[in-house]
Amino acid sequence: MATREARLNGYYSELRKLIEASNYQKVIKAANKIIGEEPKEVEAWRCKVVAQINLDSFHDALVTTIKSKHTIELAFEKSYCEYRLNKVKEAYDTVCTVTDPKPDLRILELKAQILYRLERYDDCHGVYRDIIRTTSDDYDLERLTNLSAVTVHRDEGDESEEEES
Amino acid sequence: VPTPMKSVHCKPLFFDLALNHISFPSLEHKVETSKKKQQQQQHQQEAAPGGGLTGLVSRWWGMGGNN
Repeated sequence: MATREARLNGYYSELRKLIEASNYQKVIKAANKIIGEEPKEVEAWRCKVVAQINLDSFHDALVTTIKSKHTIELAFEKSYCEYRLNKVKEAYDTVCTVTDPKPDLRILELKAQILYRLERYDDCHGVYRDIIRTTSDDYDLERLTNLSAVTVHRDEGDESEEEES
Repeated sequence: VPTPMKSVHCKPLFFDLALNHISFPSLEHKVETSKKKQQQQQHQQEAAPGGGLTGLVSRWWGMGGNN
């Protein structure tokens, strides 16, 4: 009889093949097998959440992150789901649970988008300036576009203040 | 009487770049560790009776010496 470890390894290699084939429905099923056997397997939970996000099932994905009891490890995915479900305040609280003194790019990028939805344009502008200063990749142009969107709203804010005064 | 028309700002473009960071974790280590362990176990099994290939060679040498 195969040991538990050997079984988990079999499941993981199956999972890897399904990910390569972008078969998200089956990825969820394969991840469930692993989670059923060992609920502490964060990687399996993450695979399930990412597959659900790829299927645009943001509500299901959010439920998965909560059920996983790995909300610290899956904070980015959880916050992204909340952001897409327009639970912007919750998304902000979740992204702020990542207390890393040097947060990685994905956290900063998500935080900037949440601040934009929260209409906190000054804070958002600051985050984008930091990202643009420290990052160079294929999305530089899109980031500049987002920064100019923020600038437009900041200017609008200034104008309405002037109108009021 | 309708109020006079007034131009408004168009909604600026804003991209969802965080979506690019939603990616599957690498499962390489999850699959590799098992292979390594299996290999180690195989090596141990091979090495146990008479020390595998080197054991075989030395036994040949030993036999040669006896003859």
